[in-house]
Amino acid sequence: MMGEFEYLLITAAASLGENAYGAAIREQIEATTGHRCSIGALYTTIERLEKKGLLTTWMGDASPQRGGRAKRMVRVTGKGAREAKAFYDAVTNVSRGASWVTNRTRSAS
Amino acid sequence: MTNAGWSVVEVAARSLHPEEREVVLGDLNERGERAWQGLLDILDLVMRRQVMLWKRWQPWLTAFGVTVPCSFLLMGVSLSVCQSWLWFIDARTLHSADPARSLPMLVCHAALLLGWSWTAGFFVGSTSPRTLWVSALLCCSPCMFCLARFHIPSLSRLCLLVFLVPAIWGVRRGLRISRLRLSWAIALASATTLLIVGMGNGGAGRWWTPSAWVLNGILTWPAWYLVLASTRLGKTAC
Repeated sequence: MMGEFEYLLITAAASLGENAYGAAIREQIEATTGHRCSIGALYTTIERLEKKGLLTTWMGDASPQRGGRAKRMVRVTGKGAREAKAFYDAVTNVSRGASWVTNRTRSAS
Repeated sequence: MTNAGWSVVEVAARSLHPEEREVVLGDLNERGERAWQGLLDILDLVMRRQVMLWKRWQPWLTAFGVTVPCSFLLMGVSLSVCQSWLWFIDARTLHSADPARSLPMLVCHAALLLGWSWTAGFFVGSTSPRTLWVSALLCCSPCMFCLARFHIPSLSRLCLLVFLVPAIWGVRRGLRISRLRLSWAIALASATTLLIVGMGNGGAGRWWTPSAWVLNGILTWPAWYLVLASTRLGKTAC
């Protein structure tokens, strides 16, 4: 099963769709978690996920906003989506009895 | 980001793969990070990449199977060749030895030094190019150690470092082409081995002792490894 940071990265990439690339994924993760995401963690994880066949990457176009430098574009593969779903299901199932989930459900109802 | 800060970040990023460098510097530019933060990010990535490299066996073999032992031994061989050269010159001057006998031995000795140093350098440059800085440091340490303790009045300290010239040539070649053509690799390894045998048969009795075989083996195995690597990988690139 994938790790939590791998799950965060794949989910961020999936939600960004065609616009998924290093800096955008990093911003998405930081906005969602409220924690800083280092470039080192991001790119070593992307490489690991690509080796596992969960992501594909390619060099994108350069833009003036980036000082004329290219982006690393990211796309989640079918296998990546299945593994992310398996992770999500596992977290959802294991969380059912947890107090913070039941309290949240009660307060919502 | 200031120009000076940006320059430091770009220098630090040189240790990354060119594609990754492009992407990471672009990301930093896009986010408008401060120079020191960008520098920390780059150093973090470089550290992680280095740690990942050292999870493979190649950097360990290169560092501790070739660089350290070969540096020590090749300094000894360099010294021995320089000493032989001095004896040859003295013998010619004093007419005390037969040049027809001592010259081929000197040439064989020098050719062995060249072959061993070049193959060790090529091995280091081609097997683990991204940990070359560690290999360089590991080569410098024994050199400094021996230079500090060197006291042969008739020889210059630089004699210890003669092996560095062909070794650096080998490293540069190894960085440019990842492996030798099989025929070249076989020729190099065979020539080195034949030279050792030739030196033994030529009357240098110390070449046939068990310890000499071990030392010769340590210096010669990178050449045979290059043969194996060329055979296994198949693709020619010389």
